[in-house]
Amino acid sequence: MTNALPSAHRSSPALACRGLAAGYGARVVLAGVNLDVAAGAWTAIVGANGSGKSTLLRTLAGLAPPQAGCVMLQGRPLGAWPRRERARRLAWLAQSAGATDLSAHEVVGLGRFAHGGWLATPSSEDEAAIRRAMLATGSLPWAERRMSTLSGGERQRVYLARVLAVEAPVLLLDEPTTHLDPPHQEDIARLLLAQARGCGVCVVSAIHDLSLALTADRLIVLGRGAVIGHGTVREALAGDWLSAAFRTRVEIVEHDGAHLWRPRLDAPARD
Amino acid sequence: MNARPGAARPTEAAALNGAAESEFSGQDSARSARLAFWFAGCLAVTLLLTGASLLVGTSSVETSLAWLLAPDAQSSVILWQIRLPRTVGAWFAGALLGLAGAIAQGVFRNRLADPYLLGTASGAALGVTISLLAADASVTALAWAGKLGITAAACIGACAAIALTIVLSRGVLQTASLLLSGIVVAFLLSAVTSLLLLTKPEVWRTMQVFLLGSTGYLSWSSASLLGLVFVICVIPAALLARGLDALSLGEETAQSLGLSLSLLRLSLLGIVSLATASAVGEVGIVGFVGLVAPHLVRETVTVNHRQLLIGAPLVGGALLQAADLASRWIIRPAELPVGAVTACVGGAYLVFLLWRRSRHD
Repeated sequence: MTNALPSAHRSSPALACRGLAAGYGARVVLAGVNLDVAAGAWTAIVGANGSGKSTLLRTLAGLAPPQAGCVMLQGRPLGAWPRRERARRLAWLAQSAGATDLSAHEVVGLGRFAHGGWLATPSSEDEAAIRRAMLATGSLPWAERRMSTLSGGERQRVYLARVLAVEAPVLLLDEPTTHLDPPHQEDIARLLLAQARGCGVCVVSAIHDLSLALTADRLIVLGRGAVIGHGTVREALAGDWLSAAFRTRVEIVEHDGAHLWRPRLDAPARD
Repeated sequence: MNARPGAARPTEAAALNGAAESEFSGQDSARSARLAFWFAGCLAVTLLLTGASLLVGTSSVETSLAWLLAPDAQSSVILWQIRLPRTVGAWFAGALLGLAGAIAQGVFRNRLADPYLLGTASGAALGVTISLLAADASVTALAWAGKLGITAAACIGACAAIALTIVLSRGVLQTASLLLSGIVVAFLLSAVTSLLLLTKPEVWRTMQVFLLGSTGYLSWSSASLLGLVFVICVIPAALLARGLDALSLGEETAQSLGLSLSLLRLSLLGIVSLATASAVGEVGIVGFVGLVAPHLVRETVTVNHRQLLIGAPLVGGALLQAADLASRWIIRPAELPVGAVTACVGGAYLVFLLWRRSRHD
């Protein structure tokens, strides 16, 4: 595989890992993972259920200790960053968040925690970041509503705004389009691309929807407990990484410059 | 890092966002005003209950009113040295239980969590039982028990129970393990208490007062102690409240925000331990206040954890004051155990909540 990004990015990846093994207890889900994820691109992680998309993201985020190898954030080992400093540079969106009684504005405001701390009242800079994030995700209209009164899609946009409010150079998002209808999925994909290309952010997200994942700049394809490939969408399609990852022929069609996954309903069911 | 999310804006709801921006500050100030009104209401109820508690006792309300208007030496002692410290102490004990309940529900992310979840009640009961049995056994032990007092014995028992729970769960990071350890410790210590009481049935009657809860022994010294502990607990709790907000989004999210989960939980559980042990030591085991007070706050007003940790003590304090008043009023001139009153009222409230929720569903 080749790296299509400029050489300047290649020399100092925003996020990297070497010889990474990740899993739960004694169970190894992924092993031998070497990645250089550059800034200024949206990278989608795809793979079958249980292939380790969330496990990889959690390990890259420092939420689960690696079983082997190391993760580097901006050229420095993840564990070497002070906790708050790391939180300002790496923002994380969980696949599912807990039920909370907070208002949408308060949830987004928590994204600024690492900037202020326990005793700090939100500064005008924090309020501006919160507002920008809520505007970007279209969640400002329900800023004062309790999270428990919002729909699943509305809640997801608030949680995404919380991540954007950190204004971190690295965003790790586990299924950011969960609960969203197709137009909103489109909005979020556009937002992630703009974050990456317009603001130079390193965006890495696990995406279940193949057609949506193919709108990303780059793909990390997982399968058989390892990384099958890491590169541009064209490289992934040329190498047929998706078929290898899902252990079935994955048919991608090109339409108006976009790549779309075509379900093959006439194919025999997999074991 | 100057990444600007606003640079990328989805097409959706741009006009709606603009309108929302102008309404935003208005909603915020309306909510603050509502909250201030709510806090003032709680304080007003507390003052009313304090006034009422001066009038209710073994004598009639008319007599108490006459004492208030024209106090003599004897009535002054009854009003200011017996009734007032009792209601002030009850308020602080209820406030501590309300605070501990709100923190426990936040730490465990479970609305059914209460301050006794970590085995504090059973530990306190065992501490008191051992102290009473020791006092009965020898003169030296009696002297030690006299120095220590029931309160200290209950506090030591409660703190030991929490320490045992944390050791059994190997730290505070695993919620399920912590809850399970708390249940195991509670059952284990209750069994030991029952076995000890079997050897000395005469101690049982004294223990009943403790197990059913009583505000009858509260004096100015115990009210002052409870007040001091309340101040020691509520200030750090309010400072850590943002951590509870973060925790409500999930443990991993909280960690990703830069929080040390173990340090946060240990600090918060330390506050729960101190608050619960002090309250139990002074008024015995009073159920439901810690469970119901945070619910009552959330049911009536929208709050984050900082506001909840101020609101729950206000409601908890008023609840125990009201229960104390009811325990004196219902079968006057005799008294009901205050724990029995809170259990009846709290249980009825939870049944009401369940009924309302099932009707809503």
